[in-house]
Amino acid sequence: MRVWYLTGYERVNVGFGARAGRIPPECRVYADGVMGTTRLLAAAAALAALGAAALTGCGGAAPPAVISVDAGACGGEWHLAGPGWHTFELRNTNDVGGEVDLVNPATGGIYAEISSFGPGTSASMSLDVGSGTYAFRCLFQDADPLTGPVVTVPGHADGAPAILPVTYNDLIPPAKAYQGYVEAGLRALARQVAALDGDVRRGDLAAARRDWLTAHLTYQTLGAAYGTFGKLDDEIDGRADALGVDNPEWTGFYRLEYGLWHGQSARELAPVAAALRTDVGSLLAGWPSQEIPLADIGLRAHEILENALEYQLTGHDDYGSGSTLATVLANITGTRELLAVLRPLLLPRYPALPSVYGWLNRLQALLEKQRRPNGSWVPVSALAPAAREQIDAACGQAVEELAPIASITEPRNT
Amino acid sequence: MTGVPARPPGPGPGPGRRSFLRGVAGGVAGGVVAGGVAGMAGGHARAASPPSPDADADAAIAAGRLPAVPFHGRYQAGILPPPQRRTAIVSFTATADSRAELTDLFRTVTERARFLTAGGTPPPVGIGGPPPDSGTLGPAVVPDGLTVTFGVGSTLFDDRYGLAALRPARLVPMRSFPNDDLDPAQCHGDLVLQLSAGNTDTVLHALRDIAKHTRGGMQANWRIDGFVSPPRPAGTVPRNMFGFMDGIANPDTSSQAEMDSLVWIQPGTPGEPAWAAGGSYFVIRLIRMFIEFWDRVDITEQENMFGRRRASGFPLDASGIFASPDYTADPTGEVIPLDAHIRLANPRTPQTASSRILRRSYNYDRGLDAVGDLDTGLIFTCFQQDIKRQFETVQTRLIDEPLVDYISPFGGGYFLALPGVRDGSDYYGRALLA
Repeated sequence: MRVWYLTGYERVNVGFGARAGRIPPECRVYADGVMGTTRLLAAAAALAALGAAALTGCGGAAPPAVISVDAGACGGEWHLAGPGWHTFELRNTNDVGGEVDLVNPATGGIYAEISSFGPGTSASMSLDVGSGTYAFRCLFQDADPLTGPVVTVPGHADGAPAILPVTYNDLIPPAKAYQGYVEAGLRALARQVAALDGDVRRGDLAAARRDWLTAHLTYQTLGAAYGTFGKLDDEIDGRADALGVDNPEWTGFYRLEYGLWHGQSARELAPVAAALRTDVGSLLAGWPSQEIPLADIGLRAHEILENALEYQLTGHDDYGSGSTLATVLANITGTRELLAVLRPLLLPRYPALPSVYGWLNRLQALLEKQRRPNGSWVPVSALAPAAREQIDAACGQAVEELAPIASITEPRNT
Repeated sequence: MTGVPARPPGPGPGPGRRSFLRGVAGGVAGGVVAGGVAGMAGGHARAASPPSPDADADAAIAAGRLPAVPFHGRYQAGILPPPQRRTAIVSFTATADSRAELTDLFRTVTERARFLTAGGTPPPVGIGGPPPDSGTLGPAVVPDGLTVTFGVGSTLFDDRYGLAALRPARLVPMRSFPNDDLDPAQCHGDLVLQLSAGNTDTVLHALRDIAKHTRGGMQANWRIDGFVSPPRPAGTVPRNMFGFMDGIANPDTSSQAEMDSLVWIQPGTPGEPAWAAGGSYFVIRLIRMFIEFWDRVDITEQENMFGRRRASGFPLDASGIFASPDYTADPTGEVIPLDAHIRLANPRTPQTASSRILRRSYNYDRGLDAVGDLDTGLIFTCFQQDIKRQFETVQTRLIDEPLVDYISPFGGGYFLALPGVRDGSDYYGRALLA
C-alpha cells in the first residue's frame, strides 16, 4: 500500500500494512468471568483477569489472518469480522518516523499505540477489540495528523477501553498548581532552615535536632520537583553513598542529621547548617523562573514512593535520627498533592483511583502507629517484624496502584 | 551423639575427625552441629522402577519446552511428580486485613497460578499502565513444567481471620530437634509457595508475577532457591552435595492406596476439618551442609554414615540402587552400621511402615559463609498425612546420627499444602474460606 499526500514542502509516504489475527471467542471466558469478583487490589485483579484470558493461548496460537489493505490514508481499508483479541501487524512504509495510534474516532480515545515507530520498521499491536468504531491515526514527523478509514466492529461486546489522551495543554493547569504548592513549601522551608541554622549557631543542638526534623520533612513533601531543583537537590538532600560520611563535600540535611545524631559539635556543624540555609535560599530565589517538565507530574506519582520503599523503608537513609517512617509520611503528603492536581485528568481515565487512595490511607495509618507518645518515631530497624511486613506490603501495593498514572497522564500529541 | 560406627573407619583417616569435633563440642550432649535429614539418602521402600534416562526430557528442559502440568485436580499437581530441576520456596506473612481480603488473595494466587502453569500470551501492553508481564520469558509465557504448590501455616489460624475453629489439629508450628540451630528469620510463615519448573527463569518469572499481583495481601519473609542435579550417571538418582544419591527410596506415587495411607489427608480423619481432605502436610527443613569438612572425611566413613556406596548408590549389603537392605541378616550392623542414616530413617519393619514420608529434596547454593566456605546444603521437604506419625517419628530416630556433625538445620516450617483447585471456578482454600 502506498499513500501519497502533500504536506506543503515534501511528499510523504505514509502507510503500513495491517493484518489482524482473530482469536477464538472461548479465549475470553476468564476475562468475562473474573472481572469484578476480586475486591482485593482492583487494578491487579483486572490484570489477573486479562492474564487468565490469555491462558488458553489466545493471541498467538493461530496464525493471524491478513485483512485486506487497499490504497488509502493511514492504514487503508481494513475490517474486522467481529470483536475479540487481535494482533495487528503494522509496517511503517514511510521514510520518517512517527506514532500510530488505534483510536475511537468519535471520542479521540486511544485503544493502543505504537510510539517511536521508525521508518521501514514493523511492529505489532495487540488488544481486545470490542464492538465499536476504530481507526488508525498517524502522527508522522513534519506531517499533519491523519486519520484512516473508520472501521465499525459489530455486536455488543466489551473490549479494552479507549483512554482519552492527555495533552500538553491538559497538563498546564496541574503543573501550575503544583508549581504554586512547591513555592509555598519552599517559603516554609526557608523559615525552617533559618531556625535550624540559628539553633546550631547558638549551640542549642537539642533544638537543632527538633527543627532539623521539621525542615527535612517539609523538603520531603516536594518530591516531584527534585528533578527540577537539579544540582541544588544534591546539595540539600544528597546521600553520603558515593562520598562517604567523612567527606567535606557531603552537605545538606543528611549530613546535618549524621552530625546531630553522632555527637558532632555545634562548631563543626555550623558551616553545614549555614550552607543548607544558603542553598534553600537560592532554590527559593530561583524558583519562579523554573518550570517543572509537564511529564514529571504524572511520572512522579509513583516515583516518590518508589524512592521511599528503596531508601526510607529499608532504613538506608537513616543517618541517625530514626525518622525515615516520618519521611515516608511526608512523601505520602507529596504524592497526595500530585493526585490532587491531576484529579480532573484522572477521574475520567483511571477507574482504580479509589484504590490508590485506599492503599495510601492504609499505609499512612500503619505509619502513624509508629509515632511514639513523645513525638519521636520508631526507627525502621526497631520495627516489630509484623508491623514492618504490614508497612512494606501496603507501600508495595500503593506503588502498584500509582504506577499506571504515569502512562495515563503521559502527554500525547493529538 | 551415638557411638562410633559399628564398623571401624577404613584405612587412611587415622583418628576420627568426629572425635575431634566431639572434643570441640566440649561435651555438650548431642554435639553442637546437629540436626536431622530425615531420609536424606533413602530408607523408604518403594516398588517403583528406577527412573529411566530420558534424553527427550533433558532436551525439553534445556530448550525450556517442558509441557504444561495440568493445574486443576483433586490434589495440587506439584506434590507427586519427581522434583523438578529448579525450585523456589517462599514463605509469606498474610497482610490482608480481613477475611474477605484473604479470600481475594487466595483467588488471585489461584488465577495467577492457573495462567502461569498453562502458559500463554500475556495481555498486551496498553496505554493505561506499565506492561502487565515482566517479559522475562519472552512475548509468550511458556509453561516449562511449572508447578505451584500453595500451603498454609498454623499461624494463619490465629485470631486475625476468624479461622481458629477450622485449624487442622495436626497443623502446629515446626518444633526444634536436639541438633537444630533454627534462625527465627528463616522459619515458619502464614503461607508458603513452592514454585518448580525446568529452568530458573521460569521459576523467577512466576514468583515475580505472583508477588506483583499480591503485594498488599502477603509479604514475603524468607525464601530459598533449590536445584536438582541431573542423575549422574544417567539412569540413576540425583545426588546431594555430599555426593550421595538422594531420593532413592520413596513410597510408590503410582499407588493410590499408598498415597491414601501416607500422603493425602483423608476425609473423615478425626481432628481434620472437612476442607483439608485432599491436602497434605508439607514439612520444609533448610539444612546447611559443611561440605568442606565432609570432603576431608574418608570414603569408608562417609559410606558408613549413609549406609550406601557413594559412587553406585547401592546399599552396602546389596548390588542394586533399588535393592532393599536386609537388616534381619545384619542384626549387629556388621555391614550396614546400626546408626547408618538409611537404617535409622527407615528400618523397614512392619512397625515403621506407617512412618514413611514422600521425600522431595533439593540442593541449595547461596554464596559463602563468614569463613569463606560454601553456603550450600539441602532443602529437605516431605509430604505426609500426619507430621507427628511420620516426619517427627523418622526425625526422632535420626537424632544424634553420625551425620549430624556435618549438617545444621537452620530453617523451614510446617505447612499444610492445600487441596487441589478442581476447575476454572474453584480457587485455593475455597472450602476453608467460603
